[in-house]
Amino acid sequence: MRSSVSYILSDAPGESVMSHPDYSQQAQHHGCLLILVKGIGGVLKNFNKLWDRVQKVNNIKVTDSQGQIRDIWVRYVQDYPVENNDWGDFQTHRRLLGLITFSKYTNQVELNEVCRVHESLKVKYSNTLYDSRAFIFGPGTNLKRPVQEPETYSVYEDDKLSKEKTSTCDRISLPSEAAESLSSAESFSRSPSSTASYSNQEENFTTPSNFKTHAMFYGENDPMLDMEQQISDLINSLFWVVESKRLERSKEKLEKVSLLLVPFEKKDYVGLDMESRNNKKRCMGRVTKNLADLTLQAGLVADSLSLYHSAAEILKSGNDWLWLAAAKEGHCAASAILLYPNLKNSTPLQRNASLQESSPYKMKSLSLCQPSDPVRKFKMNASPSKSKMSSPVNLPSDLTPSSSESIETSSRQSELENADTESLASCSDMEYQSQKSYLTPDLPSIPRQPSSQLHNQYLLNGEDIVLKYRKAIIHYSKYQNAGIIETEACFKAARIAVEQGNCLQASSFLQNIVFINLTLSEQEKIQRFDTLAELYKDIGFLRKAAFCQRLAATRHVSVNNPNPDWQRCYYFMLHSFPGHKLCLDPDYVIQHQVGWPVLQIEVLHEIVVAARRMGHPALATRHMTYLLQTLWPHLSRLQQREFAIQLQALSAQCEGGPVPLVLETGEVIPPANLTHVPHCLHFNPRPLEATRTPHLINSKPQHGPFIFTPIHFGSLERKSKKEEGKMDHLWVQDDICEVQLKLTNPLPIELKVSNMLLLTTGIVFESIPETIILPPDSPTTVNLHGTPKEEGDLQILGYSTHTLGVKSNCRLKHMPMPNKFPASFTVSVIPSLPIISIETCVTVSGGVNVFGPDSGSTNISLYNGESTDCSIKITNTTFYVLKVLLCNNVVRTERDPTVMVGWAFCIFRISTNSHTTNWSAPISVMPPSRGRQIESQILIRYSGGEGKEVHCRESTLQFNLELLPSVSITHWDVLPAEIAYHQQCGSEVAPDADQCFWQSFGEGHHIISGYDRHCSNVTLKLGVILKTLEESTKAYHECTVVFLTPGEYKIDIQCSTTEPLSDYPSKDLEHSSITQPCVGEVSHVWRFIPPVAISVTD
Amino acid sequence: MAVCVAVIGKDNSPLYIGGIGNDCSTDNELSRQWLVHTALDALEERLATSSSINANSGNSTAHTDLRDLYGYVTNTRIKLVLVTSSTSPSGSNIRDAEVRTALRRLHALYADAICNPFHLPGDQITSVKFDKQVKSLILNNV
Repeated sequence: MRSSVSYILSDAPGESVMSHPDYSQQAQHHGCLLILVKGIGGVLKNFNKLWDRVQKVNNIKVTDSQGQIRDIWVRYVQDYPVENNDWGDFQTHRRLLGLITFSKYTNQVELNEVCRVHESLKVKYSNTLYDSRAFIFGPGTNLKRPVQEPETYSVYEDDKLSKEKTSTCDRISLPSEAAESLSSAESFSRSPSSTASYSNQEENFTTPSNFKTHAMFYGENDPMLDMEQQISDLINSLFWVVESKRLERSKEKLEKVSLLLVPFEKKDYVGLDMESRNNKKRCMGRVTKNLADLTLQAGLVADSLSLYHSAAEILKSGNDWLWLAAAKEGHCAASAILLYPNLKNSTPLQRNASLQESSPYKMKSLSLCQPSDPVRKFKMNASPSKSKMSSPVNLPSDLTPSSSESIETSSRQSELENADTESLASCSDMEYQSQKSYLTPDLPSIPRQPSSQLHNQYLLNGEDIVLKYRKAIIHYSKYQNAGIIETEACFKAARIAVEQGNCLQASSFLQNIVFINLTLSEQEKIQRFDTLAELYKDIGFLRKAAFCQRLAATRHVSVNNPNPDWQRCYYFMLHSFPGHKLCLDPDYVIQHQVGWPVLQIEVLHEIVVAARRMGHPALATRHMTYLLQTLWPHLSRLQQREFAIQLQALSAQCEGGPVPLVLETGEVIPPANLTHVPHCLHFNPRPLEATRTPHLINSKPQHGPFIFTPIHFGSLERKSKKEEGKMDHLWVQDDICEVQLKLTNPLPIELKVSNMLLLTTGIVFESIPETIILPPDSPTTVNLHGTPKEEGDLQILGYSTHTLGVKSNCRLKHMPMPNKFPASFTVSVIPSLPIISIETCVTVSGGVNVFGPDSGSTNISLYNGESTDCSIKITNTTFYVLKVLLCNNVVRTERDPTVMVGWAFCIFRISTNSHTTNWSAPISVMPPSRGRQIESQILIRYSGGEGKEVHCRESTLQFNLELLPSVSITHWDVLPAEIAYHQQCGSEVAPDADQCFWQSFGEGHHIISGYDRHCSNVTLKLGVILKTLEESTKAYHECTVVFLTPGEYKIDIQCSTTEPLSDYPSKDLEHSSITQPCVGEVSHVWRFIPPVAISVTD
Repeated sequence: MAVCVAVIGKDNSPLYIGGIGNDCSTDNELSRQWLVHTALDALEERLATSSSINANSGNSTAHTDLRDLYGYVTNTRIKLVLVTSSTSPSGSNIRDAEVRTALRRLHALYADAICNPFHLPGDQITSVKFDKQVKSLILNNV
């Protein structure tokens, strides 16, 4: 876009070069009167409020000498560099025309100071200033209003021509005056300010004699009802000055005009022949352009179009590029004002609209133009003081009508009013329309200007505006000293393009700004980037906006910046998030992984630094957590480690917590939770352990009709209805429950995770904190425990951790992608149930074996025929009354399914709190012929507490009974026969058990050794009564058998006892259903297997 | 001369960014990413405004202070971006035709690279061969 021609006038920038760009300028400002608003003297608390109020009065309507209504717009600024004022000839909207000061004083000294500052401001802008107002707040409400001399402005002294004009014009503009006077009349009764203070004076303050300003005095807390009125008064007076200037300029003879110059040109035209044809053209063109500017400012937009056009024509022929550019720009601006009225008044009107509802006095001023109100008419005529108040006391002498005049006008005014009613009504209509158009922004905007103006032949259409602006900018670019003008033009053009919705044009204008080489202070550079970012945002170029914001942020803290401002840097960084596709909510970012991770990491890392340097460690911690959380998959191992260590260091200053942080600007930084560190692989709520699992008391299968239908109504929904994460098992109130997690530590350093808790919702749940240390890269199983305190559905949402100094709530639904967890696990919690612990105590061989409550089984070893006592101790460990519902046993033997050992308890007992119930049952074993292992289970169902109606618990007690043989035949021998057919067998019997067996076995028992002879199915039994076998002794028996026929024989060796083996204490048991050992002739038999096979030969 | 080449997916995710210069320096890599990232806006805008989808040869440019960016959009909305330094050593501006051929060649290279059956569309291009070919393209062609 920029001109390739090198700078035409490349002087070193002098002092007159405008060096303070105004980035907020818009094309519409070309048609505005510039007023400086300043708070001076002591600090005004409510200056911002006042500033807002002042800004609302940005447009007044004035009826000019021809009876035409002029729309006058005002632009307020809070600061204005004098250098820019010097460019007022070049573009008249750069002239500061009015001054409004707000100040406060408490004593005479301060008042003097305030007056002095005001006057010095007037002097500062004396070249251009036309009028000023001072709003001065004094102590209390009762004030003496210091008497002042009339205000004088040197400008007016020179303007001989305008003198009469303005005064006549003043008179003609009566309707607005009338309106003003009306509002002051109305406010009279309520406002004790300026006027009321005449009568009641307590203190006498006097303004210095050199203070010649129209000043308004208020009490500190006065509502200042007439402030708007005073300001529109000021605007009115400014307008008439501008209007007079315009008329003066328009009546000048083009041949005689002097050359208007921009500040940097002054040197170049020294000694030039001003009479040359070219220079003549320049003079004419420049003056025409100047007139066009004034016309635009005076509200005659349509007229200015043709003037700009002709100015451009003249300047083009005179090769005056700089001024040509200005004429073109003016042309564009005027066209834009007509085409895009919303561009100008959007914000102030919005405020106006909102104010309408809230403040009554604003309503009044807006409804001024409704003359049909009879009451008001009456008031107007009746109020004698009206004229006094209506005419500004201190208007410049040449603008102020004399008091007699004003009375006259006021009387005339009522006559005039009817005549003006129509025009005023139409003006109010128009205003209403424009408001309405703003209030309903969806509708196409209704142009404020009469439609006739839109058919002006010089009116540029949207495309032409952009095109012309482009040309103007190219012309500007030829002048190095016009860099700021060019920059501002770019911004203005971009804003128009934004309004047009032409994003590419706008971006090309904005792009151009970057190329303009300006020597700017860091602050201005930052502002430039900020404004660029704003405009880029407007056209939806968020990435570009973010880039500019980042540049602005880095400028804030660059080494060149003498006062680095980390806070601003931080906010710029923060606001660049959308452009980097980052959202403050980390979960959103994780779900919608968009954007460029490398850049995101960079930005986040920078913002962490900014937050830390800003002195907000909590924010730094938060952003670092955010970085780790959202961009974890994109970080390299090294970065992960590095950032984790950095986070640890940051959180040492301020611990991170899962609470939103609220910034000073009201922005909320949502919490960031670390779910990657540690990483959860597995999450499972565990059922209660077997002994504590609740069972239904009546667990009968449901007996209902089973209906099958092939028709599925909404089968899909029904399937999906199956709740994800609903656990089948139950948890019990007040009982410790367990959730199993498998965690890995993805960092190459050891990770300490403390205070791990379960996050639940639904019912009250008391979680028990857990602290673990995770070694790098190895999955660790962690059990988290807790106690539900109520019955109902418990939802487990996740878990909370405290690691690297950051507290995180890791919710399952936000868990990183690879493992798919349901959003929550739901476990039903039933009312509390009691718990018992069972202890068994077995007496074996004189010693006592105690099996604690933890060992689920009791192991007993018994010899055949032996018996022992086993006592079971049941302890109720809870505070509920416990009821044992059922207690029975099941016995299983290893091989023989027949019940050899039996006991049965059908005990219904109630034990109370923590009481212990003891009962003992003797165990006696009648040895089975072959059994070696017997398993016996005692099942106890019990219930109690609140849940006793529905659920119960089951405890099983397992007995493992090992049976050992008590006697064994250790040795046998077949002796060689002395005689044929005689065979001698010898066998040795030895108890292979230990002492205790024999002791309990008692003495006096006999071992019978028998020989069974299987001989052709004939059993020959030879019995010999031996002796009593002592412990660990051996008995030897010999017998002789004669085989009569040869053949195969088998010899069965047995020994038996005829006496009962034990004194089984059956009498102790009342409910004894035990199969009694068969006490017969032979009570026990020991057999040697296998049988001895003998073959007998002839 | 061309300094950087980027392949950008249809969801504007970076698929490949490569350029000549000291590659290992992260700074360089970062600045390249910034450059291409900020140019995406203009690219998108151009794509949105162009009504037809026959953007196969759609050539769009964006300029930053020292670089010109040329974009090329395939039918599958894969964006190929060629960054050239506007200050070419010879002083002459790069002609559009040259850029066009370069981008076509780049498109062909890209098509070759994603023909790899093990490449998932939408993933970053990690092919060494592609990288090598792109670099030679940058060095030789423009």
